[in-house]
Amino acid sequence: MAVAAVDPSSTDITPLIHHPVLWAAAVGVFAVIILQSVIYFRAIRKAAPAVSLTPAQVRSSVRSGAVAAIGPSLAVALIAVSLLPLFGTPAVLARIGLVGSAAFDVAAAGISAGTQGAQLGGPTYTQKIFALAFAAMTIGGLAWMLSALILTPILSKGDAKLRKVNPAVMAVVPTAALLGAFFTLTFTEVVKSPAHLVSMIVSAAAMGACLLLAHRLRRPWLREWGLGLAIIVALAAAFFMTAA
Amino acid sequence: MSTTTSSDTSAGLAAFDRTTSIWGPITLGLGLVVSLGAALYAAFGSGMGITGLELVTAVAAVLATFGVIAIIEPISYFPILGRSAMYQAFLIGNIANKLLPAAVVAQANLGERPGTRRAELIAGSAIIGAVLIHITTLILFVGVLGTWLVGMLPAPLIATARGYILPAVFGAVVLQSVVAMKSRRTTIVAVVVAALIVFVVVPLVPALTFYATALAVITTIAISWFARSKTPPPAADPAHDGDSPAAHISKPTH
Repeated sequence: MAVAAVDPSSTDITPLIHHPVLWAAAVGVFAVIILQSVIYFRAIRKAAPAVSLTPAQVRSSVRSGAVAAIGPSLAVALIAVSLLPLFGTPAVLARIGLVGSAAFDVAAAGISAGTQGAQLGGPTYTQKIFALAFAAMTIGGLAWMLSALILTPILSKGDAKLRKVNPAVMAVVPTAALLGAFFTLTFTEVVKSPAHLVSMIVSAAAMGACLLLAHRLRRPWLREWGLGLAIIVALAAAFFMTAA
Repeated sequence: MSTTTSSDTSAGLAAFDRTTSIWGPITLGLGLVVSLGAALYAAFGSGMGITGLELVTAVAAVLATFGVIAIIEPISYFPILGRSAMYQAFLIGNIANKLLPAAVVAQANLGERPGTRRAELIAGSAIIGAVLIHITTLILFVGVLGTWLVGMLPAPLIATARGYILPAVFGAVVLQSVVAMKSRRTTIVAVVVAALIVFVVVPLVPALTFYATALAVITTIAISWFARSKTPPPAADPAHDGDSPAAHISKPTH
């Protein structure tokens, strides 16, 4: 198939989601992360003796980190694959896979599509809506980077002091913000159609089962895989419901 | 421990601090510039006819919802990660589900508590290990095999995935958030506020549709703040009225 032309109102988003510039950005993000890891690894190896860490202990820490990351990484890959039809490979690699997270980026994309009165994935999901959603979720994600860049030096100076000011703020505000946002986003989806409602309920039920079994059977990996499995089960339910 | 350790320690750590305080911000800043470039290209360079106002409106709606979390998260993770690892974590992302567990497991393996200089280097090493695995799995399963996997699926299945991915993600995420936050009071406030806004306010005032989530976030924060339990359970020690679990991590008690 020849590459379709770029057309803001086309619902075939393929030409845009696989655009060379987006691929270049994804490769760039990977390169920056690898560069940082190399610089840090050399610095850590040099400084290790100063805190009585042996080279073997540094290697073992790298290995523990790697082993601990296997489950979550595969779980993230599963989520990423399920989002490919919506956002395409470069955006999914750079946003859901690396810098961002599935929960934030999917929510941000949905919110920004909403400002145009459009929905992700449906007949209103045009190339223009994808471009806007991608730009907005990326710039929204930059807020984390920017606040880490600004706050880290400040916190290194006055960490303990800042926490003393008002620990209740730290306890209440993030919890309330997170729960308020996700309940609203969930309810907004539920009113769209019965199939949306069923997908949501099945997803929550599958996640609940994973969390319960993880706790009862002492299988922590079930918690890591919860989101990936819940998405698959919920999409299967939506598929059978709309096919029937 | 020999008598020379003290000066060796400070010299070794000073070199480490110099490297990370220069290259940490540079690499994180580079990641920011690359991402921003991609976003601006998608909005303005791809011929989609997106106006500046449309982009600002979309970004404002996202920031109104999540901006406060973007400020709170770096503050919350700082005591566990330490300065140098902050620049790693906020470049790589997936902090709560992957980097923090990796750092904590490695620290536990070497019997180190978060908050010390030793723990900081261990966390940095563990994050490097996590990055190796993460990048490998992403390139292999998403970059190389992902398109093929999706290509194998029949079109109706792809259409379902595109159309119903949001409720499929949010159902699980909302439940996971409720369980992880362990805050019954705030959960009830959030459910009631969200339900009122989605089922009552928005149908009555459709102009508020774009701002529904931001409105819910602000209202939930405000009500949760005033309805919070004002008698903290560890009131047994009035001298430590400012202690939070995070403060315990950063400053080990005896």
